[in-house]
Amino acid sequence: MDENDLNSDDEIAIDDDCYYDFFIKGDDPMDSEDAKSREGSGQKYTILNQADIRKRQEDVIAAISTVLSVSGATATILLRHFNWSVGKVHEAWFADEDVVRKRVGLLNYEKQLSDVNAGDRATCGICFDVYPRYRIFSVGCGHPFCRECWGGYISSAINDGPGCLTLRCPDVSCSAAADRDIIDMLALSDDDKKKYSQYLLRSYVEESKQIKWCPGPDCEYAVEFDAGGGGDDSWDVSCRCSYSFCWNCLEDSHRPVDCQTVSSWLSKNTDESETKIWILARTKPCPRCQKSIEKNGGCMHMTCNPPCRYEFCWICLGDWYNHETCNRYNEAADVEADKNREDAEKHVTKYTHYFDRWAANHSSRQKAIAEMQRVQSVQIRKLIETQGKAEYELLFITDAWEQIIGCRQVLKWTYAYGYYLPENEHTKRRLFEFLQGEAETGLERLHECAELELNQFLVDYGSPLEGFKEFEVKLKGLTMVTRKYFEKLVRALENGLSEVQVSGTEEIGQNFPMASAEG
Amino acid sequence: MANSNLPRRIIKETQRLLSEPAPGISASPSEDNMRYFNVMILGPTQSPYEGGVFKLELFLPEEYPMAAPKVRFLTKIYHPNIDKLGRICLDILKDKWSPALQIRTVLLSIQALLSAPNPDDPLSENIAKHWKTNEAEAVETAKEWTRLYASGA
Ligand SMILES: [Zn+2]
Ligand SMILES: [Zn+2]
Ligand SMILES: [Zn+2]
Ligand SMILES: [Zn+2]
Ligand SMILES: [Zn+2]
Ligand SMILES: [Zn+2]
Repeated sequence: MDENDLNSDDEIAIDDDCYYDFFIKGDDPMDSEDAKSREGSGQKYTILNQADIRKRQEDVIAAISTVLSVSGATATILLRHFNWSVGKVHEAWFADEDVVRKRVGLLNYEKQLSDVNAGDRATCGICFDVYPRYRIFSVGCGHPFCRECWGGYISSAINDGPGCLTLRCPDVSCSAAADRDIIDMLALSDDDKKKYSQYLLRSYVEESKQIKWCPGPDCEYAVEFDAGGGGDDSWDVSCRCSYSFCWNCLEDSHRPVDCQTVSSWLSKNTDESETKIWILARTKPCPRCQKSIEKNGGCMHMTCNPPCRYEFCWICLGDWYNHETCNRYNEAADVEADKNREDAEKHVTKYTHYFDRWAANHSSRQKAIAEMQRVQSVQIRKLIETQGKAEYELLFITDAWEQIIGCRQVLKWTYAYGYYLPENEHTKRRLFEFLQGEAETGLERLHECAELELNQFLVDYGSPLEGFKEFEVKLKGLTMVTRKYFEKLVRALENGLSEVQVSGTEEIGQNFPMASAEG
Repeated sequence: MANSNLPRRIIKETQRLLSEPAPGISASPSEDNMRYFNVMILGPTQSPYEGGVFKLELFLPEEYPMAAPKVRFLTKIYHPNIDKLGRICLDILKDKWSPALQIRTVLLSIQALLSAPNPDDPLSENIAKHWKTNEAEAVETAKEWTRLYASGA
């Protein structure tokens, strides 16, 4: 990579740059918008709000009710028992209706007071009072309870939690189900009915196999996933609440690594990781003057306080201007450092290398999220004033931040990818480290541009600053370039770097066929 | 008077407990609180508790019968499902409670628990372990405790 190019902030740095070349070669200009339009066709999931969920639930209930000629309440009981799978209800019911009825507590006759207690009066089995027939109810089994006692029984079950959905006759020897019609008729208050119907709604999401709640904070949307929907193998979901997560394991989005890798990686650094991230994210001694310097931005380019002003890389503490990349794990250097080190310790060193970088990107992403909120709430306003722009003309800035946030997430997980990439796959490791290094450099440039170069335009000089147009072109360019690079990076890593087998590996970085293999 | 608005169900249950007591069980309400019962259960024959007289207290909470009665052994007893404080591990006193159950059914269930200790669902880990590793010795300890603490003297 041309070093001068890295440093030239005053020109549009993406020109004539191998980072740029590298992915733009042979690229179809038409797909530059594909990340944006993915929300439309080919999307494998559907975001559902409460009304959508209820609608779906009522639809399956109606379907079962029609086919089996049973009440909606009975259909509900059956569906709940079979995890809301219409297919499973059909299968079990038509195989042996009696067995199914018995298992879920459905009697063979309709709900009415049976003739167990002959006569026109009956004793309630809970309060022991004697009532005229019309004030006594049973769920078809004939065990008589008065309206008030039913109300109390239902109410205490509902307040005990979702177990109320499988409510049975109060008589302990009886398994007759008390369905939602009974609840509707006999519940004491609308509040109870509301709670019951909320439990029912939740059960539809929590017990069916295709729907999950969005794990985003305070989010009430559910996401239905159609795994057979074609497209790539990604489980990534972007909820309407703006939270992105993996539908399969419910962790944050973690492309390019799979759920298994995420779970191994996360269980590897459980206890200390939070504090470790915190410490890593805060302060380090300046490598020149040793004064402690606090990281407050998100990019890795650090500048020490005056008078030192030393510029260095936050991760490796190397001089920023002699810095190419530092993503590569150099085992040889570690071994050289202490030849007597035990294997286990070597392992720890390797792990630390990857963990530090994983954590640094994690906290950098957190900062970028906070920064983006500040951009949206404060900086955009200022720019409207100082540069005389309309809000829509400034969307490229939030686009850039969204890109940074997404890329930090990918870069973070590439360090778990690197950790688990077999040591003996030398060619793959070389290619991986090259690609990761390029990604890191490119993202660093975008992050720095968005974070630092924007500042000069926030000051009000009374008139718009000259360079704003150039800044816009540069930031837009970097955003686009970085997006495309990361998309390809993800695809290449998810394919297990399979290009390695096909192509010659001597000229990595010059002829890497990522662009043409993309099709 | 505090007992004036006692639900009819409690009055009826109390009357029946007094007039037709279950064999080996007596339960009578306290004079100043009709929701509080003094209970005595005789150790079932063929059990390590045979010959013992066990005192319990039973209280009917405000929500009774929608909520289960609260029952506790007052007499010290060596039993895997009963802890040092006399609390009892019995499903119908917890999640399996139904308002169609009664004081009588609860006490009969406790009596049955004395006949058939269940170390697989223990409340007292140590006793349960003892029961599983050396049942004969555990039974001896239970008999010893019965003689020491439940001789009814
Ligand atoms: Zn009643
Ligand atoms: Zn019944
Ligand atoms: Zn959400
Ligand atoms: Zn996952
Ligand atoms: Zn310094
Ligand atoms: Zn570095």
